[in-house]
Amino acid sequence: MTTLVESQPLSERFPRLTARVDVRELERLRTRAHRFAEQHIRPRALEIDRHTDQDPAWFDWDLVRAGAQEGLLSFLIPKPAGGAGGLATQAAIVMEELCAACPGIALIFGAHALGISPLLLGGPSQWDGVLAELVASERTDSPLLMACAITEPEAGTDVEDPDLLARARITSHARRVPGGFRLSGTKRFISNGSVARWITLLMPTDPRRPVETWTCFLIDARSEGFKVARVEHKMGQRACPAAELTLDEVFVPDERVVGREGDGAPETMIVLACSRPPVGAIATGIARGAYERLQAWLAEDPAAKGLLARQHVQLALANMEEDIHLARQAYMDAATELDHVALGGAMSHPAVRALGRIPAAIRRRAPVNGWLSSPRARDATIALLHRTTTEQAVTRSLGLSSMAKARGGDVAMRVTGTALEITGLRAGPVRAELEKLWRDAKLTQIYEGTNQLNRLEIYRTLCQKETINCLPPLHNHHDGHTQQPASANGNGAQR
Amino acid sequence: MSATISEQAEIRSMAHELARRELSLRTAAIDSGDQDAWAECWQLLTETGLDRALLDERHGGVGLGVAELLTVVEELAIGDGGIAMSVLLCNAALATLSDEQLAGLGEGARWALVPATSGTELAISNGQLDGNIACALGCHGVDGVVLLALDRSSPATWALHANTAGLKFKRDLAQLGLRGAAAASLELQDVSAPSTDCDTVIDGASASALLYAGTAAIARGIARRAHEMAFEYAQARQQGGVAIIEHDAVSDMLTAMAVRLTCRPEMLIEASGKLRLAQSLAAKIAATDAAVATTTDAVQVFGGTGYMVETGIEKLMRDAKYCQLFPQANWLLYRELTKA
Repeated sequence: MTTLVESQPLSERFPRLTARVDVRELERLRTRAHRFAEQHIRPRALEIDRHTDQDPAWFDWDLVRAGAQEGLLSFLIPKPAGGAGGLATQAAIVMEELCAACPGIALIFGAHALGISPLLLGGPSQWDGVLAELVASERTDSPLLMACAITEPEAGTDVEDPDLLARARITSHARRVPGGFRLSGTKRFISNGSVARWITLLMPTDPRRPVETWTCFLIDARSEGFKVARVEHKMGQRACPAAELTLDEVFVPDERVVGREGDGAPETMIVLACSRPPVGAIATGIARGAYERLQAWLAEDPAAKGLLARQHVQLALANMEEDIHLARQAYMDAATELDHVALGGAMSHPAVRALGRIPAAIRRRAPVNGWLSSPRARDATIALLHRTTTEQAVTRSLGLSSMAKARGGDVAMRVTGTALEITGLRAGPVRAELEKLWRDAKLTQIYEGTNQLNRLEIYRTLCQKETINCLPPLHNHHDGHTQQPASANGNGAQR
Repeated sequence: MSATISEQAEIRSMAHELARRELSLRTAAIDSGDQDAWAECWQLLTETGLDRALLDERHGGVGLGVAELLTVVEELAIGDGGIAMSVLLCNAALATLSDEQLAGLGEGARWALVPATSGTELAISNGQLDGNIACALGCHGVDGVVLLALDRSSPATWALHANTAGLKFKRDLAQLGLRGAAAASLELQDVSAPSTDCDTVIDGASASALLYAGTAAIARGIARRAHEMAFEYAQARQQGGVAIIEHDAVSDMLTAMAVRLTCRPEMLIEASGKLRLAQSLAAKIAATDAAVATTTDAVQVFGGTGYMVETGIEKLMRDAKYCQLFPQANWLLYRELTKA
């Protein structure tokens, strides 16, 4: 098994990064992720793929425990909540390294991060709840996983676009009851759905007005009425189970509404802006994994003798190098834009930093905690978001994220397919690894919105310069509470 | 002698019905390794004589011409690409055997043609065959194989019974596609090479051309099935309040699939009934590349649903990929095509 670590420093490959982040820290992170992937992931990738082909529900908790020891479960959680405070850039770099070894195993950690993302938008009000619990569990023998549930049996791509959401066939419904909501419906293809302890889940409080009432809830998988209906048998990325979840009158108290009721649609757009660069990185990692394996096979296997002298092979390798380089540029550009332009201001705002300096023990006391989780505090979080960014900035970020995702997915399919063609059916053990990566690659063209949907988003956001409603409104139309805009950030043409 | 137009239509119709009524019901089970399901399908094929369709009635066949066989395997591939490949390989192998060899075969004996590159995979010296051939499709559990040295100017064939001394089979458990033609790796050690017999239905060169043209036909059958499934799904699945076929992005993909299906491998046959190697190679490259593109797009039309094994569409993508790689990857065939 050949290990290839790219020697060119990140600072040279991404000069834009140098001015904004500690590149040496990123380099250390990449090296650590690479070491973890080579030690824990790659040796088990094929075995787990075969195991989960026979039994899709089978799950390897040892890998989760190993990842927890490496801090992969608290990586994105803000430092005040005990996490590492990682941003999209760091998450993307880690995902590329893990996915070069096995995207299915990496997806366990990716889906966990996706589940956390809506909570991060909740700001300080979320630090001392489930996020702190996740951090604490990471130090135990029973780490907790998260998942994010958006897709429904009759609505996949629809629920990832506000225009389509308005006409989508949503069948789930959160019904208002005293003290909270009762949730009913089915969510499908939920990565980590069968193994997650906490799930951020989106559904409307009024199915007739899904866009206006789309709301994010935090679900405890132990709740009465919650059930894992089945685990899907997937073509690839099998190490991470995709489950169908059914909810039958599951009670969710008011304090577990993430953000505010009705803010789900813009929250989803921000979550997608955050999650698509890592998907671009997943796809880049898959392509790189195939490229590295092909190069090793060409250099070492007697069956490949003479192939490197063929110009067809040389051109194919050059195309792969080109594809991977550009895919990586795309996801790094998107992640950097997100971290340092679109959402950077909110994360580094003095008020947020000041709250972060308050010891957790004090923050968790009733008066402070009570205020942090109050509707007024939630409004303040939204107001801060409006003060530190604009709809245009987040829209542009979404466009770049969609570009990274779509480009990466196509590159992953192209590189893995070409690698298989060069090795052929008689390549020996590497064939199984390449075939797996090819199957794994296909999903990157589908999840987080199909590549077609992502390209339509690129058209709207970057070609047409449309501005999408990506920020929850200052005015909360559900409780009539109103906040005045605190800055003169003008919005462009709204959809 | 080639079948008449009405006979061709009848054969096509029979293969079509067999594929729709029997193979498609069992294709998922075959893909998951269910040997009983595979045996049931093979039994139906032997009963209709399609496993040895190129042979005449004396040898249990139905005396089909090459063009009709291509039609048959294309139709069967709509039901299961792997089974269609088994039929192609069995026919191609048996057609290279002499009358005497055929007379010695038991009823329903299954053979497979095994293409190999001489030198790297197969060596012959002093009348002995040696070598290792990985992922030989359709070879698991066969009664015999016909080795075909692909890269010779005049491809040679050697017929070997499965129990020949020095010949070993090992099941290929990592097979990704065309699982209805279960693969095995072959190990040959000091195997006595029987002399190639000239008194056969087809010679080595024709077997080679048949292999490429047949793979093209199977790829086309797989692509037809993918197009059908994607079309049906696009009409039924709603998005944004309308069927997804109403979205340009989807309807254009479906149209592109239909355009790729305009090349028909059986049209390669010359008036004399002869199949030329150059045309067969070109058809194999074009049809298998088209099948990979079509099946990949079909999964995309299905979205997340298409990525799930139970839908059956992702299997077509795996099968098409194997057609692209078998017997050699398309990029390697460009050189052969240049020579041809």
